[in-house]
This record gives sequence, C-alpha cells and structure tokens, in this order.
Amino acid sequence: MKDDVVNTQELLSALVDGELAGAELERALAVAEDAQGQRNWQLYHLVGDVLRSPDLAHHSQRDVLTGLRARLAQEPPLQGEHLQLVPGALEQVQAPAPVRDQAANASVFRWKLAAGFASIAAVAAVGWQVLALQTAPVSGAQLAQSAAPGVVAVAADDGRSVMLRDPNLDALLALHEQYANRPGLQVPAEFLRNASLAHAGSSQRAP
Amino acid sequence: MTVAPLPLSSNDSDLQLVQRTVAGDQRAYELLVLKYQRRIERLVARMVRDHDLVQDIAQETFLRAYRALPQFRGEAQFYTWLYRIAVNTAKKFLMDLRRDPVLTESALAPVQDDEETFRNRHEPSTDETPETVLAAQEIAAAVQAAMEALPEELRQAVTLREIEGLSYDEIAQAMGCPIGTVRSRIFRAREAISARVKPLLDRQTGKRW
Repeated sequence: MKDDVVNTQELLSALVDGELAGAELERALAVAEDAQGQRNWQLYHLVGDVLRSPDLAHHSQRDVLTGLRARLAQEPPLQGEHLQLVPGALEQVQAPAPVRDQAANASVFRWKLAAGFASIAAVAAVGWQVLALQTAPVSGAQLAQSAAPGVVAVAADDGRSVMLRDPNLDALLALHEQYANRPGLQVPAEFLRNASLAHAGSSQRAP
Repeated sequence: MTVAPLPLSSNDSDLQLVQRTVAGDQRAYELLVLKYQRRIERLVARMVRDHDLVQDIAQETFLRAYRALPQFRGEAQFYTWLYRIAVNTAKKFLMDLRRDPVLTESALAPVQDDEETFRNRHEPSTDETPETVLAAQEIAAAVQAAMEALPEELRQAVTLREIEGLSYDEIAQAMGCPIGTVRSRIFRAREAISARVKPLLDRQTGKRW
C-alpha cells in the first residue's frame, strides 16, 4: 500500500516535468485531483522555482482556485476538442538538442525556405490563370476583363507579354513574409495551400 | 531583482495540460493555475497597491486565459502568453478604477507599459511585508540546506532537471543510468527537500502540508 502511495507521488513528480503519457498521465492527473495531490504539486513547483531563483521563495496564501472553479463551472465548453498547435511545437520543445546547437544562420535559412514556398505558390497561381486564358489570343485589356475581380493585367518587363497581378495574392505573399520572420516557424506546403486571408494576423494575440 | 526562467522542458508539461484542458479536462487547467499562481500574483502585486485586488486580478487572468486557450498555438512558451494576459488584465482593472468616481487612492499605481519598469523602481510590491520577506528567506534557506544534505546522485539529478532544464532522457545519458532511475532520483530529491519546507509552510499558512 505504501509502495502504491510512493509510486503515485512519483508519477506526480514526473508530471511536473512533462515526462508522462498515456495511462501514467491519467493516473497522475487523478492523483493531482485531491487536496494532498495539489499541495504536493505546488510544493514541487515551489522547490523548483526556489532552486532557480531564491527570489521566488514566497508562498501564496491566497485561494485563487476556489473562486476560479466557481466561475469556470459557468463557462461554456471550450471551442474545439483538439488544440491546434503549430507543427512541431511539442516536438521542438522535446528535442534533445537545445536551440544552442542550431547553426547561427538557421533562422535565415528558414526565412528563405518560407519565401521560396511563397514564390512557388505565387508562380503557380499566376500560371494557372494564364493557362486558362491561352485558348484564344487576347489583349491585355481582355485579360483584365476575363480574370477574377480585382486582378489587374500589367505589362511585363519585356513589353510584349502580360502579367496578371492579383491584389489578394500580393497580400498573401506579404503575410507569408511576415510569418517567415517569426522564430521557430515551420512552414510545410500544406499550410500555404490552406492559408486564408480571413485568418491573417489572428493566430497568437493575447486577449 | 530578476525572475528566474523556467526549465526548457517546462513547456512540455504546460502544453500537455493545455491540450488536456481544451479536450475537456478541467483538472489539467487547475494544475496550471496552481503552478503559475505565485508568479502571476507576484507580477500583479507590482502593478497594483491594493492587496485585495491582487487576488481578483489573478483570478480574472486565469479566467481569461482559460477562455483563450483554444487560440494558443504553442509558438511562445505558455507562461509568456499568460504573462501578457496578466499585464493586460491588471491594466484594465486599473483603468476601470480610474473611471470610478469612488476610487481608492491606495489601489492605484502608475500604469506602465511594461511590467519591467516596476522591477527597476526598487519599490516594495503589495505582497512584500517584513513577515513575508522573512518567510521567503526561511524557505530559501531550507531548500538550500536540503540540497546540501542530499546524496550526490539525487542532488545531481534534480540539479540537471530543475536548473539545467534537461529532459529525463538527457539526464539518463549524462548520468549513465536508466530513465526510470532518473525519475526515481528526482522524485526522492523533491520529497527530501519538500520535507524540510513543509513545516515552514504549516507554520506560515496555518494549514497542514
């Protein structure tokens, strides 16, 4: 019996470190449900904080949780059953090699990679529009009329061919440039194909 | 005075708990609240002078964070995200107080754009009374003494975890032992240190730990 108690508290300790999964995670959460489990949880974190900085060696005597529970009980269920983490968020944090092992120009490479994907997407989008109109010879004015609303036909540098510029696509490319400058960005092709201007700039703002 | 960083893999635990919360397990969110309550209160106490307001603002912070959890993408550390919610919540409380004709002078502190400014002002926070400062010193001393009394392998394991931020796998490689042994050593170290801290908390809080 005592071994079971020790074992469950050890699970709680491992939960502090994010080192549990599956059935053990469930058991640890069950342990943390009761008052003693929550006190041990607080204690383990107090110990860790104090080891990192003695300035954090104060213990709160306020009871935030009781009042919060009452308010949470009145809240509607959270929208979305599954958290949509950015690709690699959990894997990045769990990676054995910390950030210090990355090359100094790794962020530059990621920016160039993102820009490369954006360029390919832009060329593909324009190419599809031009290809659709190649069945009959058309002038630049006719191209502009037949293209999607908002698309403008502009002369290319050679003066003979016509390039279609879509302001929506230009905005999308600008948005990808902004994302490319954020650290830790992983930009698989699927993200580009599914990108929507409706979600531009709304991903990670604190309320 | 600087705020200690969290170990690198603290975010693993946080993301796990956030995912569980969004999936409907409120117990997981309560663990996050208990984990960060002290830090958030400490932050808020530097922004407001009214002792009673600190608890209200902390509670409101965690409520707002709960509502916004589905929007959390893991691009930043969870505490960084929570920190900004706390600052914004405290600012809103202070702004609302300023508009109230019946306001408490003692409740207001100058609103700053960044909490960093408060740390540089050498002004004691709402929570820093002689008693609380002494209590914190006692806890810090107890933790230090407990660490020095630990067997070497336990002290090394808990140091690699809490201070160096290594994962269990990395610690196992560093110490040349199985991961299960690492988990056990860290747990036993925490238990030994907690045993020294509990009597202090019993006395300070008046409840049994």
